[in-house]
Amino acid sequence: MAGLEQQPLLTDGHRRDGRAYEEFRNVFLNTGVISQASGSAYAEFNNTKVMVGVYGPRQSERKVGYSEQGRISVDVKLATFATRQRGVFGQTPEERELSALLATALEAATNLASFPKATADVYVLVLEAGGAELAVAATAAALALADAGIEMFDLVTACSVSRAEGALLLDPTTDEAAREEAGLTLALMPACSEVTQLVSRGPWSSSQLREALELAMGGCAQLDALARQVLKTAAAEAATRRQQEAQRQAQQA
Amino acid sequence: MAAAAAAGQVDADTFRRLYPDDYLRKFVEQGLRPDGRPLAAARPTSIGLGAVSTADASALVKVGSTTALAGVKCEVVPALPEAPDAGRLAVQVEMAPLCSATARPGRPSEAAQVLTEQLGALLSSVVDARQLCIDAGKAAWAVYVDIYVLDADGSLHDACLLAALAALSSLRLRAVSIDESGRVQTGAAAQQQQQGEQLAGQQERQLALSCLPVSSTCGLYRGRLLADPTAEEEPLLEAQVTAVLDESGAVLGFSAGGTAAVSQAVVVQCLEAAKMRGKEVRAMLQQALQQAGLAADAAAP
Repeated sequence: MAGLEQQPLLTDGHRRDGRAYEEFRNVFLNTGVISQASGSAYAEFNNTKVMVGVYGPRQSERKVGYSEQGRISVDVKLATFATRQRGVFGQTPEERELSALLATALEAATNLASFPKATADVYVLVLEAGGAELAVAATAAALALADAGIEMFDLVTACSVSRAEGALLLDPTTDEAAREEAGLTLALMPACSEVTQLVSRGPWSSSQLREALELAMGGCAQLDALARQVLKTAAAEAATRRQQEAQRQAQQA
Repeated sequence: MAAAAAAGQVDADTFRRLYPDDYLRKFVEQGLRPDGRPLAAARPTSIGLGAVSTADASALVKVGSTTALAGVKCEVVPALPEAPDAGRLAVQVEMAPLCSATARPGRPSEAAQVLTEQLGALLSSVVDARQLCIDAGKAAWAVYVDIYVLDADGSLHDACLLAALAALSSLRLRAVSIDESGRVQTGAAAQQQQQGEQLAGQQERQLALSCLPVSSTCGLYRGRLLADPTAEEEPLLEAQVTAVLDESGAVLGFSAGGTAAVSQAVVVQCLEAAKMRGKEVRAMLQQALQQAGLAADAAAP
């Protein structure tokens, strides 16, 4: 294992896991995974596995005070076994930062005026952290909000780009992100091409940054197509179920 | 009765929300449950092993909608002076805030703490801490079993115990070696080093479980027993009975609680149901282990 750290990330146009530079990991998205939640979603990008449950809009907790507008409250936790080093049960500063970043990424896309004085609680649990957790969590959380039937201006999809060994890598793994020279995470409302969140790490020249942003926007558009497909399939299934139910009731009557 | 008067005017879903007790009673009188099950049937159960690659062992268990994910992490720790020839097993149940509408982030809820205590006591009797010893008086394994409830749809004790048991029975402790200066190596490097020199340590091995306990929950509702109650049924129950039995039929744990007293006949009936359910669940676990290329050790004496 020690030898792996010195080996290059990239060999003739391919990454360690065999992907091309601008290729996603295998993406799996699903909604309606938690029976108790108003809305929920599960996202798996190979080794990054994230589950999101949305509760509400419901009464705000007393300690947060009064707000004319609706509120989104985000809580991100990593499972203790999600990382190579065992994590802790309480919330770490990293998780708090992730929560705050995720909240801003979602707030801009949600119609907060549609649930005044109430709170939508977005609970994120990272089951396994294999890289680009913020991006995967944002994509899943937006799907869960949509699944909960909360009014949104558009879906949010997000992806990460790392610059490592002179190349721009879409959707980096933990290994790639650990050795990046610079990186960014972009959350986008793809239909209107509006950015709800951009986090950049490390030094970028303006031309590099432009190139990286274009790559990330392309990635977000790809995810958007998939996310919409997932929502459509879920809606079609729900409609079929309702129809069958109505038929059964009609037969009984 | 207001409920009866309203019944003619509202649709099934509204009736369910307004009069949950009448709703359940109408089903139970017909010998059925709202989800279509007979009274004595548990929900469909599945066990998935190795879902989390960062954990040393993991298991995802679904019982109907109830979902629990157990992950095991092992660390080499110095042996404790009061127990030089034993390792440690730590069990923690976390009700992740996404699992139900009442769970909140922050301090663990009472329900989670109760589950942690119950499962911790059970599992410490299943895993002999002495087999976690690496080098007596010097080093031992600390095995952390963390169980996350992902969807709390009733009968959590059953799902959490099964997840923990499945994860532990698929666990392989890595090879470990310790040289004179006390440096610890695990995995393939340790295996090589052991072969080269005569060092303290151990080969890769599977954990031996002394028995395979399976938990089974029943609810008492208007004098009838409902197996494997859901979150919708649980608050309406007069009493809830959980029995933990091993493969020989020995009772390892039994708890009954609620507003009504539980008669001896009910206890006997629950134990009988738990025995049947245990057989079914252990077969499922065996099959999951075989699929993962592992055989459960506990079956052997």
